[in-house]
Amino acid sequence: MATNLTESGMEKMPYKEVNDDVVRTMTHSGKGYYIALALSISVAVLAWGLPWAYQIFTGQGVTGLHSPVYWGIYLANFIFWIGISHSGTLLSAILFITQTPWRRSIYRSAEAMTFFSVLTAAIFVFVHMGRPWNFYWTIPYPNQRQLWLNFQSPLMFDVFAISAYMTSSMIFLYFGSIPDLAAVRDRVTGWRKSLYTWLALGWRGTDAEWHWLSKAYTFFAVFIIPLAVSVHSIVSWDFALSKVPGLNKTIFAPYFVVGAIYSGSAGIVTLMVILRKTLKIEKYITLNHFDKLGILLLVMSLLWSYINFLEVFTGWYADTSFENESLIYRMLTPPFAYMFWLMIFTNTFMPLLLIFRKVRSSIIISLIISLGINVGMWIERYLIIVTSLPRKFLPYAWHDYFPSWVELSITVGSFAFFSMLFLLFVKFWPSLSIYEIKEDIGIPMQKEKGH
Amino acid sequence: MDGIFKRILERLRAYRVPGYYEKFDHKWTMVVDLDRCNGCEACVTACYAENNIPVVGKEQINNSRQMSWIRIERYVDGEYPNVKVKFIPIMCQHCSKAPCETACPVYATYHNQDGLNVQVYNRCVGTFTCATYCPYDVRRFNWFTYKWDKPLDEQLTPDVTVREMGVMEKCTFCIQRIRAAKDRAKDEERTLKDGDVIPACAQSCPTGALSFGDLQDPNSMVSKLAKSPRRYRLLEELNTEPSVIYLKRIMDNGDESH
Amino acid sequence: MKRRDFLKFIGVGGAGAGLGFIFGRAQKPPGAKLIPYLIPPEDIIPGAASWYATLCTECGAGCGVLVKIMEERAKKIEGNPLHPVNKGGLCSRGQAALQALYNPDRIKGPLKRRGARGSADFVEVSWDEALDVLGQKLGELKKTGFAEKLWFLTAPLSGHRLKLLTTFMSAHSSPNLVQYELFQHRELAYANQTTMGIEEIPHYDIANTNYMLSFGADFSGTWLSPVNFSRGYGEMRQGRHRKNRGRLVQIEPRLSLTGANADEWVPVRPGSEAILALSIAYTMVERGYYRGGDASAWRSLLSSYRPSEAALATDISAEKIEELSKKFAGSKPALAIAGDGALSYTSGVSCAAAVNILNHLAGSIGVKGGMLINSGGLLGKERIDFKKGIGSLLDAANSSKVDALILYNTNPLYTTPKAANAKESLNKIPFIVSLSGFIDETTAMADLVLPAHHPLEDWGDGFASPSVGYPVTTVMQPMVSPVNNTRGFGDIFLALASKMGGGVKERLKSDSFEDYLKSGWKELYNRNRGLSAGTLGFEDFWKKMLANGGWWREAEPKRQAAVSLKGAKQMLPSRPAVFEGNEKEYPFYLVLYPHHGFGDGRHANLPWMQELPDPMTSVTWGSCLEVNPKTASGLGIKEGDFVEVESPFGSITLQAYLYPGIRPDMVAVAIGQGHTHFGRYAKDRGVNPIDILPYKEDPRTGSVALNSTRVKLVHMGTGEKLAKTEGVTRELGRNIVQTITSEEFKKMGKEVI
Repeated sequence: MATNLTESGMEKMPYKEVNDDVVRTMTHSGKGYYIALALSISVAVLAWGLPWAYQIFTGQGVTGLHSPVYWGIYLANFIFWIGISHSGTLLSAILFITQTPWRRSIYRSAEAMTFFSVLTAAIFVFVHMGRPWNFYWTIPYPNQRQLWLNFQSPLMFDVFAISAYMTSSMIFLYFGSIPDLAAVRDRVTGWRKSLYTWLALGWRGTDAEWHWLSKAYTFFAVFIIPLAVSVHSIVSWDFALSKVPGLNKTIFAPYFVVGAIYSGSAGIVTLMVILRKTLKIEKYITLNHFDKLGILLLVMSLLWSYINFLEVFTGWYADTSFENESLIYRMLTPPFAYMFWLMIFTNTFMPLLLIFRKVRSSIIISLIISLGINVGMWIERYLIIVTSLPRKFLPYAWHDYFPSWVELSITVGSFAFFSMLFLLFVKFWPSLSIYEIKEDIGIPMQKEKGH
Repeated sequence: MDGIFKRILERLRAYRVPGYYEKFDHKWTMVVDLDRCNGCEACVTACYAENNIPVVGKEQINNSRQMSWIRIERYVDGEYPNVKVKFIPIMCQHCSKAPCETACPVYATYHNQDGLNVQVYNRCVGTFTCATYCPYDVRRFNWFTYKWDKPLDEQLTPDVTVREMGVMEKCTFCIQRIRAAKDRAKDEERTLKDGDVIPACAQSCPTGALSFGDLQDPNSMVSKLAKSPRRYRLLEELNTEPSVIYLKRIMDNGDESH
Repeated sequence: MKRRDFLKFIGVGGAGAGLGFIFGRAQKPPGAKLIPYLIPPEDIIPGAASWYATLCTECGAGCGVLVKIMEERAKKIEGNPLHPVNKGGLCSRGQAALQALYNPDRIKGPLKRRGARGSADFVEVSWDEALDVLGQKLGELKKTGFAEKLWFLTAPLSGHRLKLLTTFMSAHSSPNLVQYELFQHRELAYANQTTMGIEEIPHYDIANTNYMLSFGADFSGTWLSPVNFSRGYGEMRQGRHRKNRGRLVQIEPRLSLTGANADEWVPVRPGSEAILALSIAYTMVERGYYRGGDASAWRSLLSSYRPSEAALATDISAEKIEELSKKFAGSKPALAIAGDGALSYTSGVSCAAAVNILNHLAGSIGVKGGMLINSGGLLGKERIDFKKGIGSLLDAANSSKVDALILYNTNPLYTTPKAANAKESLNKIPFIVSLSGFIDETTAMADLVLPAHHPLEDWGDGFASPSVGYPVTTVMQPMVSPVNNTRGFGDIFLALASKMGGGVKERLKSDSFEDYLKSGWKELYNRNRGLSAGTLGFEDFWKKMLANGGWWREAEPKRQAAVSLKGAKQMLPSRPAVFEGNEKEYPFYLVLYPHHGFGDGRHANLPWMQELPDPMTSVTWGSCLEVNPKTASGLGIKEGDFVEVESPFGSITLQAYLYPGIRPDMVAVAIGQGHTHFGRYAKDRGVNPIDILPYKEDPRTGSVALNSTRVKLVHMGTGEKLAKTEGVTRELGRNIVQTITSEEFKKMGKEVI
C-alpha cells in the first residue's frame, strides 16, 4: 500500500490543508503570543536599549572591561550569535544541495534564524565600540582627506564578511519565500493582502518563474556555503591573528565553523520544539525530524569534541608557560573551571545519549540536550575570550574580568531582541515553506476518505 | 615577463610588513639599563605631567584601569629571606612588526617614517583590537572622559591632546618633543643630533637608566649601548622587533634567566 | 635638555624672568582671564615655552629644577642639568609639585577662625586685617614683657629665609624658633658632631664607591637626597668612567626599594643595626683589616661586640658578620651609611655613630668613593638645635609658656603620636597662626591663617644639605604669578615688621623679600669676592645666578675629619632598641617607613602621588600592612583582609598585603596616609601608623623614635580587593627581566662607549 507518509516522515495531507495551516499561523494569534511579544519588546528596550544609551553617554567604563581584558562578554555574544547564524546556512544550503528531504519543513525558520542572529550579532559590533557614533569610518566611503582603511585588519575582513553574509542570507531567505508569499497573498484580505502583494513581486507561478527561481536558489545555496564558512573563519581570525596565548592557534577557523554549525543546529532543535508547540504545526515537524536533527547534533558533537580536545591538547603539548597558564586558568580555576566542565558535560557527554533512537525521538530530551548545547556553546565562546586575555604574556599585567551589570543586561537584551524579531517573523512571514512541503507530499493523490 | 613578476612580488612584500619604508628618517630607540633602574617611578610621574594623563581614582585602579603609559613591573623570586626583586620599566615598545598596527581597521595606529608607532586619537573608533593584540599590554583606553578638578587643569600642556572617551592611547616616545626638536633644528638649519630629543621619562630618570636616541646615528649613545653584550629585547621570541632595548641586570643567586 | 641649548634659552629666560614677574605683579594675573592673547605681553609667545630655574622644596634635598612656563602657567618641572645635586634628574615628588601649586584645596586667602577651635570653620579676611591682628598680638606680647612666649615652629629652612626668620625672632626677643620635621636627620647630625666634631651631613660618594653597606638607608626612594644618591647609584653600577661594578649590601629588617636593588639583603633584627655595625667594626680591628696605630684602643672599645655575641642580638650569623667585615675592608673605597630605617629607634643615634666608626676604620672618610666632608654654607653654619625638638614646644605649651605660636609648613598633629597629646598641648596656646597653604590637621587648630605662597610662586634660596663636597646654593624665584591671594613667606614678615614698627622694623628694612634676598646676596658677593664667577659685577652675577638656578663652584672637598676614640666612646655602649609592649602579648615589631610618594605625609594631597603605585607593593590610594606570608598564613590572613594592629598605645585597622621582604617577627606600615584634613585627595584615606606609637623623645637629639613599639595582630575578617596595579609578580619562567651573574659580566666586558 502506498504509504501515508512523505519522504520526510510527515503524514500526507491535501495541499489546501498546508496552505490553510500556514496562513493560519500568520493570521491567528492567541493571547500568549501578544504577551510574549510585549515581553520581548520591553525587555529588549529596557535591557538593551537603555543601558546602551547610558554606555554611549558615559563611556565604555560602565562595562567590566579593563587592561588587559579589552574584549569581554560583548565579543563572546557576538561570536555566539554569528555561530547561531550558521543554522540556516546548514539547513537551507548544505542540506539543499544534498537533497535531504526532512529539511523542507524547517528550513524557512532556520534561514530566518540566520538572518536575525546576524542582526543581533551586529548589535554587539556597535555596542563594543568605544566611539560608536563614528562607526561609519570602518566603511570605505569617498572622502577628501585620503582616508583609507586597513584591509590587513581582521576587523576589516569582518565588516565585509558580515555585511556580505547578512545581505546574502536576506536575499536567500527572500527569494526562497516568494512563492509562499504569493500563496499567502492569495489567501488573505485587507492590509495583509496589499503587504504581501508588494512582497510577492507579482509571482504568478508560471513554469518559467519556477525555473528561474530554482536556478537562483541553487546558485545562492552554493554561493552561501563558502560565504558562511568564511564568515566564521574570519570572525575566528579576530582572535587567531593576535599573539595572545590561547587565541593564537591555526585550529581556530575550523574550530569556530564547526562550533557554529553545532550551536546553530542545537538552536534549530530548540526553536523547532517551541514552534511546533506554539504554532500547532506538529504534523509538519514530526518526530522523524527530531530523529534526523538528533543524528546531525550527534555528528556535530563528535566533531566539536574532537576539535576542542585538539585545541587543549596542542596547548598542553606546546608546554610553554604562556599556554599552560591559560589552560590552567580555564580548566582548573574556579569559577571558570565550573563553566568549563559544565560545557564538556553538555557538549560532549550529554549528546552521546543521542546515539539511542528512543532519545532522539523524545521531544523533551531533545529540548534539554539542545538547550544544554546552546548554553555550553555560549560558555565556550565566553571562555575563549575571558580565560585567554587575563593571562597574557606579562604576569604583572594579569587581572581578572567580570562583566558589569550593563554588559549582562545587554546580553539578556540581545536574547530578547532576537526573540522579538523571531516573534514578528512568525506573524509576518510564512514560517514553513509551503511549496517545499507540497513537494515533499508529492503529487496530490485522490482522497482515500472524505475529509 | 620576469620583470613584471619581480615587481609584483616586491609590491606584495611591501604590503606584508606594516609601515614598510625604503628608508627611515630616524629610528628612535630607547635603551633601558636594568642594572641602573632602581624602580623609583620618577619616569611614571614625569610621563603623567608631560602627556596630560588623567588620574582615575581608587575604584578604577581596583579595576585595573590606571592610565600610566610607562609602568614599572616588579617581579619577585624566592621566599624570605632569599628574596630577589627585579624591576623593569615597560612602555610602548614601538615594534617594527607591531601586532597592533595590522589590527586597527581604520589605521588609527600605524608606523611612521621615524620608526615610531603612532596613535591618531581623532581617528580611533575604539574597537580595542590593538590593545588585545599588544603582547606587552601597554595600551590604555579612555574609559570615560576624565576630568581634572580645577585648577589642576591649568597644568595641562597644550602640546598634547587631551583625549576624550572611547580613544586608545599609549606612549608616543614624547612625539611632541621630537616634533619640537625637528622644528628647532629646521630653524637652525641643521640636522638633529644626539641629545636634541629626550622624552620626559628619560629626562627625569635619576639613575640614568633610560637613554633615548636615533639608532641610525652611529654617534648616538643608544647606538653604542645597543651593541652591548648585555642587550636583549622583551619577548623577543614573538618577533615583534621592538625599538626598546633592555640591558640585562647583574644579579647573583637569582633565578638565572638568559 | 643640553647645556648649550639651555643657556641659549637663558637669553630669553633671564631677562624674561624679571620682566614677566614685573608684568605679573603690575597687572591682574592674566591666568584669571579666559581671553586668549590677542596682544600678548612682550615676553610671552603663545604656544612657546620658557624655562626658568628654581629650587625644588618637595623634600629637604634641595635639587635644582627648571620649570616650563607657557602663557604664565607652569606646565612641567624638569631637573636642572647644571645643578650639581641632581644633575638634571628629578624624582616623582619633584614632578608632582605642580599639583600642589594648582591644587583645588589650597587656601585662597587669609582666614580667621569663626567656629570652635579645631573645627576648621574659617571666614575670609583681608591681608591688612590679618596682618593687623597678628601685629597687634605680637606687639602686645613684647609690651607686656612676654616676648619669649612667641614660638615659631617651621619646617627646616636654610638660606635667607632662615636668616630673615631668625632676625625677626631675635628682633622680637624670642629665642624660641623650632625647626622640626619628622625626618630631620637629627641623629646623623648628632652622631657626626659627637664622633667627628662636625655637624654637617657629609656627601656620600656613592658613584665612586666599590662596596656599600647600607644600614636601613632607602636612598633610592626617600632618604636624605634621593636624586643625588640615585645618580650615584646609577654610576656605581654602570658608570662609564668605572672599570668595575660597585656592590651594595642592604642591612635592614624590611626590604625597602633600595634593598630590592641591592646585591644582598641582610634581614637584621629591628633595633640591632648598631650592634651589627659595631660587630663588623670589631671584626675589622680584630682580624687586622684596620691597620691604624690605635687599633688596640679600638679593639678594647669595641670588645663587647664580638660576632659570636652579636649574632644573638642581631639574628645574623657570626660567619655573615665576618664575611661582611672582610668584604667591606677589602674593597676600598668602601662606604657605610645609616639611614632613617636604622636611626628611627630609641637607640638610633648610636647606629649613626657606629657607621661613622666603620667608615673611619675602612679609611673612607674624606676620600673619593667614601664620605666627603661638606663645609658649611656660605651663610655660615646652620646648626640643628638639639634642645629644640617638637618636645620642647609641647612641654612649653603644657606649662603655659607659649602665648602665641606661628606655624609654617609643619604638621605636628599628624607627625606626633597620639600619646604625645599634641592636640591638648596646642589647645593650651591662646593664639595660633599658620602660614601654610593647606588646611591640614595642625592648621585646622589655627586662629588665624596667613597663607604663604607656594615655593613656585616665591623668592628664596636654599643651601643644599647634604651638599656634594662643595657649597651649592640654589635660588628660588617665582615661576608664575600667584594663583591665589597669598603672599610670599618673607614678604609676610616684612609687612608684619613694618606694621609692628620699632626695633623689628629697623632690623628688617627691605620693602620686599626680593630686595632682602638681593641685598643679602650682595653682601655675600662682597664678602666672597674670590669665589665669585670671574670679574662680573653684582648685577650680572645676580642675573647669572637666576639663570643658572643658583651658585656653585666645583671644588675638591678639602675638609678632613676623623672619628675620635673619645667621641666614639661617648656614643657607646649601644644597647638594643627599646620596644614598648611585652613579647608575649605583643608578638610583632612594628616598623614604620616614609611612603615613597608622600614622604612624611606632606604629599598625600597630590593625586599623582596617590595614584603612583608603591614600588614594593603597588598599592594606591590607601594603606596596607606588610606581613610576611608565613606569618599571615599562620594567622589565617589573606591579602586584602582587614587586620587590627594594636599597640599598648592605640590601634589601627587596615588591609593586609603579603610581603615576602619582611621578617616573620615584624610588620610594617608606611607613613603618609590617614589624614583627617588636608584636602579631598588626602582626607579619610588609609591610616596613620604614627598614631599608635609611644611618645619617646631622645633627650640627646630631640627626635622621636618611630620604631619603638610592638604590636599584636587581630584578623578582622575578609576584606575587599586592595587597590593595587600588580597582577602576579612571578615571572613563571618567561624571561622577562633577564639577568646575568657578576662572573659573566666580568667576562663580558662593558659596553664600548
